[in-house]
Amino acid sequence: MSPREYKLIFTGSMGAGKTTAIAAISEIPPISTDVENTDKLSHAKATTTTAMDYGEVTLPEGHKLRLYGTPGQVRFDFMWKILGKNALGVVILIDNSRPDPLADLREYLAAFRSTVAASRAVIGIGRMDTHNLPSIDAFWSATTELGLTVPIISIDVRRRDHVLLLLDVLFHQIETANPIFEDSESGATT
Amino acid sequence: MNASVDTLGRTESAICQKQIDVLMLVHPEINGALVSTIDGFDVAAALRGNLSAAKLSAMTSALLALGGAVTSESGVGECRDIVIEASTGRVLLMDIPHTTRKLLLTVLCESAVTLGQVLWAARRCRQELSRRLDTK
Repeated sequence: MSPREYKLIFTGSMGAGKTTAIAAISEIPPISTDVENTDKLSHAKATTTTAMDYGEVTLPEGHKLRLYGTPGQVRFDFMWKILGKNALGVVILIDNSRPDPLADLREYLAAFRSTVAASRAVIGIGRMDTHNLPSIDAFWSATTELGLTVPIISIDVRRRDHVLLLLDVLFHQIETANPIFEDSESGATT
Repeated sequence: MNASVDTLGRTESAICQKQIDVLMLVHPEINGALVSTIDGFDVAAALRGNLSAAKLSAMTSALLALGGAVTSESGVGECRDIVIEASTGRVLLMDIPHTTRKLLLTVLCESAVTLGQVLWAARRCRQELSRRLDTK
């Protein structure tokens, strides 16, 4: 089977580490659209993504992943729709230090519901070392209550091995639930 | 969300509102104008109908950020303006240089107007906004 290219989306709450995660694994200098963050009430970070991040990584089998990061804030939800089109899978990153991480998760599960419902998603919970609640079990309950089954992992997006593990889990999930995805046109970008 | 209270003082917001009101008064061919923060919050708006200043602000921020990424990748310097040619009108997007906080200007007009005319008017408005905000 010849190598192919796939589009993956990194989404999630502001400050969850989408830009950092893509930078951690991209083989090319990532493309960023970060600008000054003027909304310090929502998050103290200096910059925020307003359009997209972009990076690339090649899997051992030769498949190339095109990695697209979305803005986190709901006011940029038009970018979620644009970037989410024809995506093979979605990585949802949650910052557990935010006021209501479970509500954050529900927001992104709803926004990417069709991809999530097709078992083409994985959830990464960040900053659990300093904020251990909600627990992984609580995130699992919040997900299953919506009729969805998604792998949930505690990760540090600054670590390349953690982000690659997340993608590994995502691909196992996709292969298990969609055994013919390699031959399907849905989600493939080439 | 309007950013005027949180991120800009009332004086700065009032300056922005006055300048875009003047722009539309002097140039009746311009049928909408908007000033927003660089991360997409509306600061001042003069829009007709039910156009959403909040949505247009977020989209302006995203497009100018993408424009910056494209010009950087292409090695052609900094992105200054983006012109969107639509079937019945044009949308001009540009940044407003400011010593402490960069803002964005969005201008809407009908397609019957020459591009040069509206571009000149919008750039004059940008210059005036920049000057007044810096000397406030």
